[in-house]
Amino acid sequence: MSHFIDRLNFFKRTQTPFSNGHGAMTEESRDWEDGYRKRWQHDKVVRSTHGVNCTGSCSWKIYVKNGLVTWETQQTDYPRTRPDLPNHEPRGCPRGASYSWYMYSANRLKYPLMRRQLMELWRGARSKNPDPVTAWASIVENPAMAQSYKTRRGLGGFVRSSWDEVNELIAAANVYTAKQYGPDRVIGFSPIPAMSMVSYAAGSRYLSLIGGVCLSFYDWYCDLPPASPMVWGEQTDVPESADWYNSSYIIAWGSNVPQTRTPDAHFFTEVRYKGTKTVAITPDYAEVAKHADQWLNPKQGTDAALAMAFGHVILKEFHVDKPSAYFTDYVRRYTDWPNLVLLEARDDGSYQAGRFARASDFVSGLGEEQNPDWKTVAIDDATGEIISPNGSIGYRWDGRGQWNLQQKDGKTHEDVALSLSLVARHDTVVDVALPYFGGVPSDYFQGNTLKDILKYKLPARKVTLADGSEGLLVSVYDLNMANYGVGCGLGADDSAKDFNDAKAPYTPAWQEAITGVPRDKVIRIAREFADTADKTKGKSMIIVGAGMNHWYHMDMNYRGLINMLAMCGCVGQSGGGWAHYVGQEKLRPQTGWLPLAFGLDWSRPPRQMNGTSFFYNHSSQWRYEKLEIKEILSPLANKARQSGNLIDYNVRAERMGWLPSAPQLNTNPLRIAQAAKDAGMSPADYTVASLKSGKIAFAAEDPDNAQNFPRNLFVWRSNLLGSSGKGHEYLLKYLLGTKHGVQGKDLGEMGGVKPQEVKWHQDAPEGKLDLLVTLDFRMSTTCLYSDIVLPTATWYEKDDLNTSDMHPFIHPLTAAVDPSWEARSDWEIYKGIAKEFSRVCVGHLGVETDLVTLPLLHDAPAELGQAFGVKDWKKGQCDLIPGKTAPALIAVERNYPETYARFTSIGPLMEKLGNGGKGIGWNTETEIAFLGKLNHQHTSGTNEGRPCLNSAIDAAEMILSLAPETNGQVAVKAWAALSKITGIDHTHLALNKEDEKIRFRDIVAQPRKIISSPTWSGLEDEHVSYNAGYTNVHELIPWRTLTGRQQFYLDHDWMRDFGESMLVYRPPINTKTIKPMLNQKSNGNPELALNWITPHQKWGIHSTYTDNLLMLTLSRGGPIVWMSEDDAKKLGIVDNDWIDLFNANGAIAARAVVSQRVMPGMVMMYHAQERIVNVPGSAITGERGGIHNSVTRVCPKPTHMIGGYAQQAYGFNYYGTVGSNRDEFVIVRKMTNVDWLDGEGNDTIQEAVK
Amino acid sequence: MIKIFAVLARLMDYPTAELIESRSALIDVVREETRLPVSLRDSLTAFIQQLGTGDLLDAQEDYVSLFDRGRSLSLLLFEHVHGESRDRGQAMVDLLQQYRDAGLELSVKELPDYIPLYLEYLATRSEAEAAQGLGDVHPILALLSARLQERGSNYHLLFDALLAMIGIQPNMGELRGKVATEPRDDTAAAMDKVWEEEMVAFVEDKGASCRPTQSTNQTHTLHFREN
Repeated sequence: MSHFIDRLNFFKRTQTPFSNGHGAMTEESRDWEDGYRKRWQHDKVVRSTHGVNCTGSCSWKIYVKNGLVTWETQQTDYPRTRPDLPNHEPRGCPRGASYSWYMYSANRLKYPLMRRQLMELWRGARSKNPDPVTAWASIVENPAMAQSYKTRRGLGGFVRSSWDEVNELIAAANVYTAKQYGPDRVIGFSPIPAMSMVSYAAGSRYLSLIGGVCLSFYDWYCDLPPASPMVWGEQTDVPESADWYNSSYIIAWGSNVPQTRTPDAHFFTEVRYKGTKTVAITPDYAEVAKHADQWLNPKQGTDAALAMAFGHVILKEFHVDKPSAYFTDYVRRYTDWPNLVLLEARDDGSYQAGRFARASDFVSGLGEEQNPDWKTVAIDDATGEIISPNGSIGYRWDGRGQWNLQQKDGKTHEDVALSLSLVARHDTVVDVALPYFGGVPSDYFQGNTLKDILKYKLPARKVTLADGSEGLLVSVYDLNMANYGVGCGLGADDSAKDFNDAKAPYTPAWQEAITGVPRDKVIRIAREFADTADKTKGKSMIIVGAGMNHWYHMDMNYRGLINMLAMCGCVGQSGGGWAHYVGQEKLRPQTGWLPLAFGLDWSRPPRQMNGTSFFYNHSSQWRYEKLEIKEILSPLANKARQSGNLIDYNVRAERMGWLPSAPQLNTNPLRIAQAAKDAGMSPADYTVASLKSGKIAFAAEDPDNAQNFPRNLFVWRSNLLGSSGKGHEYLLKYLLGTKHGVQGKDLGEMGGVKPQEVKWHQDAPEGKLDLLVTLDFRMSTTCLYSDIVLPTATWYEKDDLNTSDMHPFIHPLTAAVDPSWEARSDWEIYKGIAKEFSRVCVGHLGVETDLVTLPLLHDAPAELGQAFGVKDWKKGQCDLIPGKTAPALIAVERNYPETYARFTSIGPLMEKLGNGGKGIGWNTETEIAFLGKLNHQHTSGTNEGRPCLNSAIDAAEMILSLAPETNGQVAVKAWAALSKITGIDHTHLALNKEDEKIRFRDIVAQPRKIISSPTWSGLEDEHVSYNAGYTNVHELIPWRTLTGRQQFYLDHDWMRDFGESMLVYRPPINTKTIKPMLNQKSNGNPELALNWITPHQKWGIHSTYTDNLLMLTLSRGGPIVWMSEDDAKKLGIVDNDWIDLFNANGAIAARAVVSQRVMPGMVMMYHAQERIVNVPGSAITGERGGIHNSVTRVCPKPTHMIGGYAQQAYGFNYYGTVGSNRDEFVIVRKMTNVDWLDGEGNDTIQEAVK
Repeated sequence: MIKIFAVLARLMDYPTAELIESRSALIDVVREETRLPVSLRDSLTAFIQQLGTGDLLDAQEDYVSLFDRGRSLSLLLFEHVHGESRDRGQAMVDLLQQYRDAGLELSVKELPDYIPLYLEYLATRSEAEAAQGLGDVHPILALLSARLQERGSNYHLLFDALLAMIGIQPNMGELRGKVATEPRDDTAAAMDKVWEEEMVAFVEDKGASCRPTQSTNQTHTLHFREN
């Protein structure tokens, strides 16, 4: 309100003073104060956070009046950490501050919804069948009925249902599916448990109890960097953002810190005040570039070439010419550089690097009796003897308590220093061939053509092997030098003369042609980076963004960076190391959460499946595969052992137990036990015999057979079809059976080469899913496609836990108000379904024996699978040994009528089998007894005496009590358990916190710092910030790899055949989606193929916030695509024009943002803009323009399928195929008809390009 | 109790079997409501009859696609006044207080500005107070009526009846003309349009199209305006 007229401009009131002139009476209006008064009136303030896939994990104050949320503000009460360190608070960003809108939005889901066609069928069937399971069968077994509702998916037509009705239907569908096809046909997808771990656990606990399957997400989102498991045996472990402040040199490489890590970006800026230099490396002029001291812009997708040139300079100057004492000591202790590799002879007299030599290669196994096949070797520098040093994976599982990085001989326990180069003690000099990919032809990426096999003169050691033959050994140190083009001075070879040698591999001059970065800048940054690390003992850091991980050859990008850090001794040092912040992957109290989430307290193992392979297989994306194996093989590959399509590799990996399977076998796993009994065999033996005879096969070998379809899918906490569904249109067509925009032809239509291991059906089935259920609080794209939509509580309406990798605090979500309308928390929803399941299963499912196939898991003895070579039992190359050459086959008892009783209580396996994680186990009886008191015990029924898990808070207490991170006494037990394996006492890391116990009410009062635990490789104490690899370096705990060290060399057959045993630069792959479309459906305007880049956006966290109008108002609204001025000019496009973007996978309609920020050759569309916002139709598909995934299709990589091989072994969200998408190109052109597909007369025509 | 308000509240809520069973009782009230013009009483009666003769699922699907999706036909009053502004929370709090002052507590999980709920509250008030309460929101009612007519939905009759009860005859021709230029959001595919409209509304309009046209001095009318 303006007081312009009300106020007196020329007068003032006569005042009568009082209190001897100290007071005065005025009569001006004080209405203006009411605004402030009301603004800050509230009944209570509740602590909560936003459970999005954001590493922010910021604590917020939620203001509540009369049971209604009125607004939110940032919390400012994070505990201080260390002196000198800037505060963490306030954390938060405009995205979070606009959240309260969601609760009361017209877009909020209020009631359980069901598609009307399905409801009619259901009610009709239900009226005829008193048994709900029979009723469901009558619908889905009738093809016409099933099709009638499946084809309506995505087309609206919802009606309100009741919780009773939807729960009964869902339970009936699950029971029917389990009984008819097997419980492994019931699938669940939910991502990022760290952001609301109880909500995740609700669904996964239900699924795990009934034998359903949880799909992984980290790999599917392509946020999992497989390079991390490869090099470290660690999923992802990174420094907290506060550790940036401890750094002395930071490269932000492909990470747009101020934009995507808003609440933490201040550390990146504050550290500059200490003199730290920051460098931004991004292909476009990203926001981070203007906050850094220097900006390099390599062409997108060529980062590995730049990294190799950096490495070339560092190796030459800091390891060869003037070795840094610190670096030399570091690589000797903590990397595989001293380890020895066997050479394999080639036809031309040269050699190529083979596998790591093992203790068993030598006479009497170097004295190692246990696991000699898994103990790598090196040379004792003092004696020249070949020894088996401590710490390799064989020591981890040999029970001798010697798995550590003390520099000792494993046999004699003598102190040793290991040799690095063999130049000083070689027996012979040999030509060693290495593959070179920089000249691989590419339509869009300039290469630097050299020979495709490069040869180097390397020093080798001659030895007599155990079988009497002569072996040649080289060290990884020498191999790695050669691999970077750095010669060792033993004669002329293909190594570089100097940094200006543009036609020699990996020099600063060599990379100019590929990346476009001037050589002098490369030399300068490399020197600064290494020099700083040398002087500060490792305080150089690289913050890396997911973009670099989204290329098909992502491992080369990532290993390029990791190698730089390891060769400069930065990993495991405070202020140094690899900082990959992608996805909120760090569920800190993980070992407390696992039993809750996967029902490990009642039955083990749970069924877990890698998401990428699942969707690649079951949404028939493999039917369109155009990438051939020969395109990605190394010129040195043993081609005889490599053939087939990508799907064949995945199937072989499943059969050999490398990757999981879901659905698992081509038969109902609940029927196997009976068949086995009839045959007088155990279920496992029966299955082995049947697999060998071919009576039973893996479901993946015939995914288009109705027996093998995934049948029911739950999606919660995710917009699977809106945001993360790579190959979106394929999911619509094959999984859902509804309208889709698939443009390409499958292998059958194209006359392509059919797979060898998978049965080809000419007509692929569509609509495999019988039931798609989505839980959400808003109408999302996935909801629109679902059969049943369940309204969930928002983040201000439920109790839950939240942690992040960016800060060391655990803090809660709490219910500020009850869920609005009919919404329920995820915990209550799944509890309700479990209850109904227990009721309707009676008469169909009782106590059943379920046969579960379990892949060879990382961090378990099974990771010692096939030590030498790859043998496939199905091809008769070896026997089928479950848990060794094939998945373990485990009979698990399910008590279906007790599902609800089990869901709501903590089961007895915790006392019987204990708890643990990452290869460490401990007894947890005390904590379970304690939970019985804290949560109370059930007083009757089959779960009598068991601790209660009725509420989400009960569940949270289970997590907090069982996890070392939140229960000091468990931390001490966990460190003690690890001490037994390493032979070093680590308990001092937690003893001072033994009595510290964090409970739910504690974190409601204030965020709490977690306790150091062996689950993670960093420490949380008063002296250092959390930093990954810290305990490896400072507590001498080995990395969980083959050698126990950080590996530059990966020796698995497939790594070598696919050319990635060491770092190389490889140009992006050709996805072949352009040629069939270019100029084929012309609208008269020019067309150009541009690289399709989808970074995280500024205006939202994935799709969660983009349909929020506050956020859209800050952006242009609707879909936009950034392009360069040069490309726009070529295409006759001006800023804000509508443009078509398309390729063989699908099409997108968007507005152009023409900007100098973007370099020619690429277009950028921010990750996951909502399909439902302001999108006109696409001229290509005639459907509404798609989302960014409309033009993508998954293309898995064989090296990610490797399993049963130390660090390259499966773990849920740890290793496996990933959904890369950045190699994709799209054709861009100006749109002519802007058609809104609504017949409303708002369509416009854009002028043709002249 | 002002029965006609209660009847209209029931009709404006999600259609249920109970509603259909009670239709003769509802019709009786409509027929006896002499404050409504005869023609409107007839068409309301027909509306109720039609609800009873058709498939209930059709009515429900129709209702969800009209009122449970998008903003333009939201039955939450403040959606049209405050939109995404944080003032909305306080406005709801004030309205809730108004109910409490009248001795009423919410017995269902609904927001206080849900129109059927508000109507039920008005039904318990005196004639004058109820008329005032309706008068405060009449521009929203008129707009919803116009939008419903534009979509060919007979639900507009309910809003017409409310306006008739307080003797307001908005210029429907003008309003229809105005909403005719608005995009529809009654199908899934057209949801985009709703969003586009909101964008404009948020920046320039801020619900001003729903602001009472005549200034009133009652303090509680503030709930429906920008503060």
